[in-house]
Amino acid sequence: MTRSADALTTRELAQRLLAFEAVEAGTTNADTHAVGRVCDKLRRPLTTLAGAAGFRSLLARALTLAKQESPVIAAWEVNSDGSLQGLNGEAAQSGAVLIAQLIGLMITFIGESLTLRLLHDVWPDLPSPETNFGRDHSK
Amino acid sequence: MNEQSKVKINQLPTGVPGLDEILGGGLPEFSFNIIAGAPGCGKTTLAHQFIFANATVERPALYFTVLGEPALKMLRYQQQFTFFDAAKLNNAVRFVNLSQDLVERGLEGVLEEISKQVEAANPSIVVVDSFRTVLRSEMHEGANMAVQTFVQQLALLLTSWEATTFLIGEYSESELRDNPVFTVADGLFWLFQQVDRNSVVRKMQIMKLRGQASVPGLHTFRITEDGLQAFSRTLGLVGQRKTYGTARRLSMGIPALDEMMGGGVPEGDSLLIAGSSGTGKSLIATQFLAAGISAGEPGIAAVFEERPNEYTARASEFGLDLQTPLTEGRLEVIYLRPLDLSVDEMMQEILDAVKRTGAKRLVIDSLAGFEMALAPSFRTDFRESLYRMIFALTAIGITILSTLEMPETFTELSFSSYSISFLTDDIIRMRYVEIDGELCQIMMVVKMRRTAHSREIRKYWITTDGIVIGDRLKNYVDLITGIPQPLSALRTEEPLPNRKV
Repeated sequence: MTRSADALTTRELAQRLLAFEAVEAGTTNADTHAVGRVCDKLRRPLTTLAGAAGFRSLLARALTLAKQESPVIAAWEVNSDGSLQGLNGEAAQSGAVLIAQLIGLMITFIGESLTLRLLHDVWPDLPSPETNFGRDHSK
Repeated sequence: MNEQSKVKINQLPTGVPGLDEILGGGLPEFSFNIIAGAPGCGKTTLAHQFIFANATVERPALYFTVLGEPALKMLRYQQQFTFFDAAKLNNAVRFVNLSQDLVERGLEGVLEEISKQVEAANPSIVVVDSFRTVLRSEMHEGANMAVQTFVQQLALLLTSWEATTFLIGEYSESELRDNPVFTVADGLFWLFQQVDRNSVVRKMQIMKLRGQASVPGLHTFRITEDGLQAFSRTLGLVGQRKTYGTARRLSMGIPALDEMMGGGVPEGDSLLIAGSSGTGKSLIATQFLAAGISAGEPGIAAVFEERPNEYTARASEFGLDLQTPLTEGRLEVIYLRPLDLSVDEMMQEILDAVKRTGAKRLVIDSLAGFEMALAPSFRTDFRESLYRMIFALTAIGITILSTLEMPETFTELSFSSYSISFLTDDIIRMRYVEIDGELCQIMMVVKMRRTAHSREIRKYWITTDGIVIGDRLKNYVDLITGIPQPLSALRTEEPLPNRKV
């Protein structure tokens, strides 16, 4: 329940990340590629912090939560190497749900401040970690 | 080798209050150290305090995690401490997970990855947490590189790259012997967590520290929201010798008592006020502090049975204003009653208060309360600890007045149930006596080290103006037993030469 209260802002953040990566991808399936690229870029810092297996577990948990919110992505799966499989046309909408859940998990574990710092390290164009997103996500 | 040609070993601040002192000034730069101990004793927190105190963007800290607690969880918990600086994360403080390297490529893979990261980041500090899991994995899987070789190569690599290193491991004391890790290490920090009855006491020992003299023995430490705080057994005062140079006397705030003591208590002495409940020990202590405040000598009261506001309120009942100096910082009332206190923590509190106030006088009211506040395991060493504390504090010129409640007996006059009278320079004994069917109070100066004092036994009263001391009780014998005999009664008996013995 608490997580859905945070969803608005984490969703906005997720949409920004996807927008960054969609521009970078610049292909016909930009949205689908963007989801994969965001997850891939998050893989490095999260593997550092949680190990490869830890990253896969986090992504799998985020996907499970995202599927509850957006059943159209029921076919999406996390491979053993931590990559996503089965992405389809719903990526634009549901990709943001997945990324928001992943960010939400990060906030749950290490707090908003550190999460924003990690995201900022990967996407320096994001607002600085000191930016107040108007809501405390820490639980 | 003369002083000039010796290599200078820089000392790094540990970030742990009290620990630099224990280490002899700080942690030797480029040293290769082990932090060992059972789970939950504070190893990781100690390492984190060190890295956050020293790491910079130019010379960062690399924190390698291996199979143990993942950095994600570490960050979750460590950020609760006040020393944690989120702004340093990923630039000055960098986490690297080596679990996969260990699982896939064993010790060689771990060494290779550490080399790669160290060469790339040029760190000033390297931590491997948990190092034990690295070696344990080796033992389980069978390896192509001996543990000893691995440890030596790692030490060589990290020292060559001018990194100060901590390897963290869950070791037990039985593993100390013939362990290559401990042989190679320059510093060995052992953390303990001892349970005694219902209390937990944390202690640390610097078992080894190359290049400088650390303070030997077990030192207590506490973990609070600020991280670890260590309390040196000697609190850096071990080298100081007590001198009896000054002849200055401090007033007790009771002129007649000053007179009985030959002019007051000698500065830097430890004075014990012993007596049973209700005899006015705390009042004398309060008057002693108030007299100091009036003379421009700040004071500290370490109380265990009253809170600071209760303490000043009680003083005001006797016309003594301690609230004003308390507010103005000329008096500190330290109230400690955590029940798992160590004497060293108490000492640290007092020393901190001495630094803040410039105190010259200290009251410990009472020793029984102090003992009760200690964790059970510390109570067994109470006398020894008290000795260290009194010696250290008087050595820096503090005059200490301690109160001690004595069970009243009517057959003898004891001075201390702790057998601690040898710790004190001066003793004043207060007690009840029965005189003419009335319960009265008498006072005597039993001992004044190095100085003459009155041998009189004098009656006193507790009044709204404090203690009022009367004249010597001349007409009684056996006063110190509590049941005196009037001299007149003895005179009616046979003359002494004819009395049968």
